[in-house]
Order: sequence, then C-alpha cells, then structure tokens
Amino acid sequence: MSPGLFIQLIVNALTIGSIYILMVLGLDIILRGTKILNFAHGQLYMLGAYVLLLFFQTLNLNFALALILSGATLAVVGALSYLGVFAVLSRRFTVSTTFSYRLLLSAMASVGLMMILQQGTLLCFGTQERGILSPFPQIIDVFGVRISLTRVVIIFLSILICIGLFLLMYKTRFGKIMRAVSYDPEAVTLQGINTFWIFVSCFALGSALAGLAGGIIAPLFSVTPAMGQNIIFMSFLVLLVGGIGSYRGTIAGGLLVGLLLSFGFQFMGGIAELFVFILVIVILVFKPGGLLGEANE
Amino acid sequence: MKPTSSSTVSRNSRLKLGAIIVTLAVLIILPLCIDSDYIKHLLIMTCIGAILGMTFSMLYSSGLITLGAAAFYAVGAYTSTMLVTSLGLSFWAALPVTIVISAVLSLGFGAIFVRNAGVAFVIITLIFVQVIVIAAGQIEFLGGWGGIMNIPRPGSLGPVEFVSKRECYYLILMILLLIIIIYNALYSSRIGRAWRAIKLSPNLAGTLGINAYRYRLLAFVIGSTTAALAGSFYAHYFQNITPGAFAGWLSIYVQLYAVLGGLEFYILGPAIGSLIMTFVPEYLRVVKEIEPIITGLLLLVIILFFPGGILGTIKNPPDFSLQRFKSELSKIKIWKMQGGKR
Amino acid sequence: MSLLEIHNITKIFGGLIALRDVSFDVNRSEIVGLIGPNGAGKSTLFNIISGFHHPDKGKILYKDVRITGLEIDRIARMGIGRIFQEPTLFMQETVFENVLNGFHRHYREAAWKALLHTPGANREEKNKRDKALEILEFMGLSALRDELAANLPHGWQRVLAIAIALASEPDLLLLDEPVTGMNPSETTSMIEKIRQIRERGVTVLIVEHDMRAVMSLCDRIVVLNLGVKLVEGTPDKIKNDERVIEAYLGKQVL
Repeated sequence: MSPGLFIQLIVNALTIGSIYILMVLGLDIILRGTKILNFAHGQLYMLGAYVLLLFFQTLNLNFALALILSGATLAVVGALSYLGVFAVLSRRFTVSTTFSYRLLLSAMASVGLMMILQQGTLLCFGTQERGILSPFPQIIDVFGVRISLTRVVIIFLSILICIGLFLLMYKTRFGKIMRAVSYDPEAVTLQGINTFWIFVSCFALGSALAGLAGGIIAPLFSVTPAMGQNIIFMSFLVLLVGGIGSYRGTIAGGLLVGLLLSFGFQFMGGIAELFVFILVIVILVFKPGGLLGEANE
Repeated sequence: MKPTSSSTVSRNSRLKLGAIIVTLAVLIILPLCIDSDYIKHLLIMTCIGAILGMTFSMLYSSGLITLGAAAFYAVGAYTSTMLVTSLGLSFWAALPVTIVISAVLSLGFGAIFVRNAGVAFVIITLIFVQVIVIAAGQIEFLGGWGGIMNIPRPGSLGPVEFVSKRECYYLILMILLLIIIIYNALYSSRIGRAWRAIKLSPNLAGTLGINAYRYRLLAFVIGSTTAALAGSFYAHYFQNITPGAFAGWLSIYVQLYAVLGGLEFYILGPAIGSLIMTFVPEYLRVVKEIEPIITGLLLLVIILFFPGGILGTIKNPPDFSLQRFKSELSKIKIWKMQGGKR
Repeated sequence: MSLLEIHNITKIFGGLIALRDVSFDVNRSEIVGLIGPNGAGKSTLFNIISGFHHPDKGKILYKDVRITGLEIDRIARMGIGRIFQEPTLFMQETVFENVLNGFHRHYREAAWKALLHTPGANREEKNKRDKALEILEFMGLSALRDELAANLPHGWQRVLAIAIALASEPDLLLLDEPVTGMNPSETTSMIEKIRQIRERGVTVLIVEHDMRAVMSLCDRIVVLNLGVKLVEGTPDKIKNDERVIEAYLGKQVL
C-alpha cells in the first residue's frame, strides 16, 4: 500500500470518525441526562443536513453561519420533541417505576417519533438525492498526497465543536449541572435546580450535535431521507464500543470504528461492517458495558 | 385490594375456563369456515407474530428489552432449511436438531449478551439481528441476498399432508398452544417469580440469593429457542426465505405487539397485539406513503396515553374527567423530579 | 470464631477515601451497632459486606470463609441478609408476595418439578406460603398482606423490608437505618422486634442515627468517622468517649 493511499485512508477514517463522534456524543448526552435512548437521533442528523441545505443553498448564507443556524434549529427541534413527547411520557413515572419499563416506553416513543420524522421528511422533500457543491472544493497537496480540503474542514470543524462542547461541560456552571444530573438527579434537585429544564437542555444539546453532524457532512455526501436510518445503526454501535457514559470512550470508539470502516471498505468491501459488529461482540466478551463504560444498570 | 370471597374466585376461574374453551373452539373451527387463502395466511402470520411477541415478553418479564427477536427466528429458519435442503433430512427430523442447535447458540451468545445491562443489551440485540441478516446475505452457501427458494413443506405426519394452508394453520396453532402452556407453567412457577423479582428490583433479588444473570440467561435461551422453532415453521410454510425478511422493522414490530396488547400480559398481550397489527393494516387500505406516519402516531398515542396497552386499559380504565386532565397536566410541570433514581 | 470478621477494609471512590483500614468482628447472637456522622462510610461498609462493592484493600471473613470478591447472590445464599437505606421493595407486588420472594433460596425440590406441579413441589410451595404468613404475623403485617408495597406508608415499608430479609433465613442480618423516619411509637415497636429477631438466633449488625435505638439495643457499638474506626465498645463506654462526642460536633445526640 502506497504511503499516499495510507494517508488518504487515515484522513477518511478521521472524517468518518469525527461524524460518529459528534453523533454519539449527542446520543450519550441525551442518554445519560434523561435515560432515554433516542431512536429518532438519526432523523435529527438528517434534518440537520436538510436545514443546512435550506440556509446555505436556498438562502445563500455563508457556510459557517448556515451551520450555526442549523445547529440552533435542531436544538429547538430537540427541545420541542422532549417537551412534546418525553416530558408527557415521564408524568407516568414515579420512584417505583422499574428501569426496564422506563427504557422501553421512552425507546418506543422515540421509535414513533422516528417514523413520523422519517416519513414526513420523505414526503416533504422527495426521495431524490440532493447535493451541495462543497464550499471547499479544492484538493490540497500535502507532501505529494492529494487530500480533499472538504474532508480536512470537516475534521477541523468537528474538533472545534468537540472543544466547544468540552468547554461547555467542564468549565461552565451549566455544564457541571448537566453532568451532575446524569449521576444523581436527586442531589441536583435538592440544590434547588430545576431538573426539568436540564432535561430539555440535554435534548437540545444532543440534538444540536446531531444536526451539526448532518450539516457538516452535507458537502461531502448527498443528502437523502435515508441518511438518518443509515447512520443510526452504526452510531449505536460506536456508543456500545466506547461505552455508555464515557466521553473519552466515545472518542476512542468513534476513531476506532472510523479506522475500521475506512480501511475495511478499501480492502474488504461490504463485509467491513460485519467486521465492526464482530469487534463489538469481542469487546463485550471482555468488557461488558463497552471499552470505558459502566456495566451496571 | 380487597380480598375476594371464595365464591367470586371460583366464578372468575370458571369464567376464565369458559373463555378459553370458546376461544379454542373458534380458533379450531375458523379455517373450516373461511375460504380465502389470503386470510388463512394472515392467521398463520398472526400466530407466528404472537409467538415472537411472547419471546419478547419473556425477556421483558426479567427486565431485559430485546430488539433482536428476529435474530433466532432467522437462525431457526435458515438452520432448518439447510438441514432439509442440503442434508436431506425431513422437516420432522430436522426440527429437534434445529432446536438443539438454537439452544446451544443462544446459550453461547446469551452468556455474553446478558452480562450487559439495560441500554447496552438493547443495542447489542439490535446489532446481533443485523449481523445475522448481513451474514446470511453475504454467505453464498446460505443463499446470499436472494435467499433460498422452493423449500419443501413439512412431510406428511400420518394421514395429514401439509399441502394446503389449512393444515399449516393447524400445525402452527398446535405449536402456539404448546408454547402457551409451557410459558404459562413457567410464569406461574417460582422461575416466573424470580424473573419478576429481578425485573422489579435486581438489587433486592440479589440479596435474596437470586442470581439475575442466570435467570435472565434462562429467559434468553428459552425465548430464542422458541423463536427458532417459529422460524423453522416459517421457512417450510412460506417455502422461501430471504435475509430481508428478518431485517429492520420486524423486531420493532414484535415489541409493538407486546406493547399494544399490554406489556404486563406476557401471553395474551402479544397475541392480541399480533392479531391487530396483522389484520388491521390490511383493512385500512391506507395510502402506502402515510402509513409509517400513522403507525408512528398510533405508537405515540398508545405510549403516551394508554401505556397499559389494550388489556391494561381494559383492566384499569382511565377516567376521562376534567379533574384527571388537570392533574395529569400538573404532573408534567416544572417542580416534579423527573428521571428519578432507578 | 466470630461470625463476621472485617479485616483492614479500605475503599476509595475516585479520589475520596470512603473507608480506611477498618477492622472489627461480630460474634454470634450479638447486636452490634455501627454509628458515625454522615459520610462516615457506614453504608459503604454494608455494601462491601453484602457484595455490592469490592474493597480496594482488606478482606472479610464470614463463618471463616472469605466473602470479599464474591457475587451478591452468592453471599446472600451463605446466610447474610440486608435491608437498604432507600426503600427497596418489590413495589408492584403485594406484601405477601414480597415476603414469599424471600424464601427463594430455600427451595429443595428441583425447578422442573415445580413446573409440573408434582405433589412434592406443591407441598413445598404450601410450606413456604405458610412460613411467609408466619413472618407476616411476627412482624405485624398480617392485616396488610394484600396491599401493594408501593401503597404502604413509609414506616410499614421499613417493616416489610425487614420481613423480606427475614424470610431468607439469614444468620447475619444487616439493618441499614431501620428506624430512620419512624415516629417514636413505631421506633419502640421496631426496637422490640429487633430484640425478638436476635432471640430467634439471628446476629444483627445495625447502622442507625437514632441514638435511643442504638443505645438500648446494641451489645457493642463501633464508631466510624470519615472512613476510619474511632473506637468500639459497650454503649456506656461509647457514650462517654470524648472522641465520639467531638466527632458529632457536640450535638445533643447522646
């Protein structure tokens, strides 16, 4: 394998990996904060792409601005979906409700949401693939290796978003509260903080991340209604690989899966996905709960 | 709960017995009265759906939620097909072999999967069913994505030949009834009590000497083997299997059967859910395009307002007074500590 | 040989030292109290004994067998029962069903026999049910037998938790704050019940904040503070110990 190909595959791996990292960070924030496994997460990613299309292509806004706006829009969508669906659901939960009941009902509610969002988008926009011309179409030359600038920008933007996220979660009071809620909601309530709005924020933030992932990837891949379904599956996998409840695990998992998929598709074709699944099972044998996650209920 | 007098208890059990006999009679006579092959097919698929739903409920009864009910359904279908088409066994000879192979496989995989709790288990089962589907698609020996066709119907059992849908219906009905009897015995035994204890509080159950892992593994193996049994029937009834038949929505629909019928009714719930979800869409002639939206909305309405499912709502009918509406609204409000400890 | 021997238990959570080098014994038929200000590590110690956590250092011997590192259910089957600080019950089952679950580890007939409802299995089932009723009677819960656990008032929920633990017929019973949240008359009844439990041959290790209960019940008391054992001794000795009084910051608790 030539060094040029190797570099390109690495860049590809990082690109794929960063998208999954953003997606799964979003999933994880929602999951840890509200204990809801949001099956509609993939649809939020898809909507992010369509909204970006709207702002960038139709309204001709600057790409960065369009991206920020699509993130914000999805944050609102996420908040609304919590308010409209999950908050209404949670009124039935008391202290004595079992974990499995909570999980099942909220997961099924999110499936319902997923179906509506999916089909709704399909009906609104049709099945045709849309693409946008990348605002960064150049091919750059790094030590003789040709790399598309678009991918580099994607990686760069993802890193930027991750840094922003970590600053938010670890350096601001808001972030600390959000993290505390996933450990001990009661303690947070006792401090006089309203956990209800924290849950809304978790959903808003997680959805924004999914939307940003969708927006970022739009210049690279075509935008179709099937985007959501295609990505959710692998996202769950990355979540499992990295372990639920660990940001570091998510990043490690995303990068690992990115590498596997990138190199895998090059040399194995379609079976690459199968390989990732087998990897997950192997990891689970040795470490129930994922690489860096917790195994207990 | 007021203690019921013994006369009410025996009246209740007599009512139950009567209902069971009537239902059985209807189920048995049904295909004789119906000419349409299509409806007989739907009835058969209802039975299969009910069985799959019951495997979901069995896992749920011990606190595990599976999104991979279709996994061993596929394993059973493919295993039986291979045994019959490649090794030349008869359906009846292949049946016990399929069951044993599925039991062993589910024990092996289950031992790994069940160690993971809650959310991780959901994702694992989701992935597992995908792995099975992709593996079946990629392996040419298993027919690849095109699947396997011309699978023979079960050979004759004594005078009975399984040529028409009617005989197949009776076969699956027998299987369904057998499963109901076994499952019912399990649920009313101390195994069922242990499952329930684990579901309600794994910690407390642990302090009473109940090993959650082992009991859940048991549920997993029993459920998976049952699904495999249904799968082997399906392969020889439908005479054609493709990886696509087991993918995607099937596992989610299986959950839906249980939820629709009533989550806490491990046997009757999935049966009713399967019946409704199999027949109603056929009669509603909904435009193909908005069908998922309607299903999605239906799902949301059930989860949000009737989480007890049909049977649960009948048992505890909600009252539609304004007072209750107001109290429900206030529960959503800001002060309530939501999420809570598990 | 003591029933329970705790040797040099150390447990660290993240950077926090929950327990440091804690050692003491519990002898058969004793009622030993474990007290200390909040955060002293008492519940952590209970969790380690019953198997919910594994210690970082040290070991615990029960009937001369090492139990640290064993699974929760294995430890339970060796004869250690416990109640939890938070209400931990089978909420959606009745009081009777809750207690019946306690007998789980004592079934002798094989499970498949239970499925087939053989006469032996049926007899054993009836036997367990009778025993459950007897425990309900003993704890004063008979009138509530068909009530859902979730509907019980707090005090009765504590009583039920103890009943369930008793049903598993433990030799050692770990009571985590049995009377916390009870009114004085409930507390008095519970104190008497715990004495009766000891008379039935059960050894009791009890964590409590209610000093009246602790002083009147316990043969010996172990005092923890900030994860370290301060002192152990008879109630009188503890009452007058300066370190203990200081640990409680001069509060009027003794």
